[in-house]
Amino acid sequence: MTGRTRTRFAPARALVQALAYLVPSLLVFAVFVFYPLARNVQLSLYDTTPFGGLSRFAGAGNYAELLRSGEFLGSLRVTVLFAVYTVPAGLVLGLPLALLANRRMRGIAAFRTAYSFTIAVSIAAAALIWEWMFDPNVGILNYLLSLVHGPRIGWLTDPHWALPAVAATTVWQSLGFDVVVLLAALQGVPDELVEAARIDGSGQWAVFRHVVVPAISPALFFVGVVATLGVLQSFGQIHILTQGGPVGATNAIVYSIYRNAFFNFRFGLAAAQAMVLFVLVLAFTTLQFGVFERWVSYG
Amino acid sequence: MRVKVTRRRFLRAAGAAGLGAAAGRLRLPNVSAQTPVRIAFWHAMGGNLGDTVIRAFVNTFNASRKDIQVTAQFQGSYDDLINKLRASLGSSSVPAVSQVYDIGTRFMIDSKAVVPVQDFIDREKFDLTQFEPNILAYYRVGGRLYSMPFNTSTAILYYNKDMFKQAGLDPNRPPRTFDEIEASAAKLVRSGATRSGITIAIYGWFFEQLLARQGALYANNGNGRDAPATAVAYDHEEAGARILEWWARMIKSGVATNPGRPTAASQRAFAAGQTAMTMDSTAVVRSLLTQSGGRFQMGTGYFPKPPAAATGGSIVGGASAWILSGRPPVEQQAAWEFVKFISEPAQQAAWYVGTGYFPVRRDAYHEATAQQTLAQFPQFLTAISELRSSPINRATQGALLGVFPEARQKSEDAIEATVLGRKTPQQALADAARDVNQAIAVYNRTMGAK
Repeated sequence: MTGRTRTRFAPARALVQALAYLVPSLLVFAVFVFYPLARNVQLSLYDTTPFGGLSRFAGAGNYAELLRSGEFLGSLRVTVLFAVYTVPAGLVLGLPLALLANRRMRGIAAFRTAYSFTIAVSIAAAALIWEWMFDPNVGILNYLLSLVHGPRIGWLTDPHWALPAVAATTVWQSLGFDVVVLLAALQGVPDELVEAARIDGSGQWAVFRHVVVPAISPALFFVGVVATLGVLQSFGQIHILTQGGPVGATNAIVYSIYRNAFFNFRFGLAAAQAMVLFVLVLAFTTLQFGVFERWVSYG
Repeated sequence: MRVKVTRRRFLRAAGAAGLGAAAGRLRLPNVSAQTPVRIAFWHAMGGNLGDTVIRAFVNTFNASRKDIQVTAQFQGSYDDLINKLRASLGSSSVPAVSQVYDIGTRFMIDSKAVVPVQDFIDREKFDLTQFEPNILAYYRVGGRLYSMPFNTSTAILYYNKDMFKQAGLDPNRPPRTFDEIEASAAKLVRSGATRSGITIAIYGWFFEQLLARQGALYANNGNGRDAPATAVAYDHEEAGARILEWWARMIKSGVATNPGRPTAASQRAFAAGQTAMTMDSTAVVRSLLTQSGGRFQMGTGYFPKPPAAATGGSIVGGASAWILSGRPPVEQQAAWEFVKFISEPAQQAAWYVGTGYFPVRRDAYHEATAQQTLAQFPQFLTAISELRSSPINRATQGALLGVFPEARQKSEDAIEATVLGRKTPQQALADAARDVNQAIAVYNRTMGAK
């Protein structure tokens, strides 16, 4: 707001005007976010009937049950591990692909399409494709392993492999999005900066490390935040590949919420879990903004 | 259950069903003939099943009646369907008639949102004498038939006759007991006929069946049939632990493979000739015949039991059709007409040969389509013989539990923890029982049951 507008409107009037502009979005938020959130808080404090009605006030009962249940603590651990497996991997794999796709050469459009096509693949379709590849008997992964006399791995049935397998599916599916965002950022890096650094005698790595990375740091940060939020809410691939098993190895929190609400008909318990997830997401995001955003340069 | 069926075979079967049904049956004009009553039928038969058979049934029915028009609406898996149904109860979107899986029975009754088909049966003196007694025994609760059995199945053993021959086993005598399965599996692997003697999906339904095969109860109060169940029973008896011990022992010794939970994976392994035996629903007979594409001779046998077990038998699985009370009486009556139609011999025979779900009534076997298929593929006969040889008692009637979907999942957790060597069978079952009993307590409390 400039000084001129501030003198023209009294602060109260400005507020009213601002609110008027905000009404449509506030309305949408109220209906789709604030009201459900309030209802969710309420649900989490009650025992519920299998039809979702409130049965009796339980206070912190649902939360206490969660903390007592090893299953819930396990699902928290799985969720954090899942984020650790997928978010850095997405960046580490996405950036080189984006760098390759950023080259100027004949037919680059084909490569760009290839590197980013998974953006058009739904997570359900991705999971079905990978389910076939993971099949212990007829899947290609074990076939390739058998060529080098490797062991037969129960990708989705061995508790040690299941979460990495689901994570691989997730990374593969989200790679397209990462590449698109990072490629767009790379194309926005001013040529003068790169050329100036080259003329000053910087090598490839120095240019990348001190010019390109800072220039695309907002995009890296964006991908990191979006991927974290996405991964904390993963559902489809888990539902299709493992249903949370084996022995809870992939029972991430959103999947656990789904089971409790729409399978076990325990809405109060599920609502309490959702509240915990809400706090978790909030904490993660705050952490990212507080810690990682410091080295982001918005140039 | 996901079932694949070839389109051509189905069209043939469904067409035959249509002809049978259209062959001029007299119908009572119960419902006004002026404007047709429109009703919705919710079902969970996806893929070819939903597209082809259900649609053929509905089209035939609609063409044969001017007074009722049925719309079939696919709702996803059985779990998805009962969720949507639960959400629709008490609203204007509730369908007139819906398919619900076997383990939803107690919940549907407790919902008080249904009209028992017994009401219509009594009013019309509808004849049930042709219906399989074991099927009626499952769906009758307190002497009343609440829903009309529609697609019914049991679990059977599938085996690869070629591999049996190669291993020096009698291809015409499938193993019948836990011990025989274990010995056969070991011999199959040792002989080099296969790397995996048997592949069993971690499916709670198998655990329920294997309990019933031993005559053991799943839940207290007579499997929840004398009074609402208050706890599961499998943690107190030997029967449950015996199943898990056997299962885990075969995995540990390397003669059995664990394909995880989805039966699709064990079906793939069996059809691809990667395993000599598998356990599955009879509803996939057709699908396995198609998937294996005649690469080997497929045999079917009874579901196993421990050598000593005597009083046991199989439980009926599958789904039934429920009439919802949330629609006006004229629609309920129309729903009943449709329910009667899909339980007729012609429709049941078409179902049978297209899938492996066996008919709910005996006269369906007289239909030409059924006769032809049985002559060509005797594998279709195993499930019904297994069921007919089962005594009717509380164990084989199957348990009624409001929280059955959750209970089934907990038993899957227990199987998984045992076969992966994380827990002893006793510990795994005790943990499952503790969780399920708590869920039952919450259910009974919030539903106001005793």
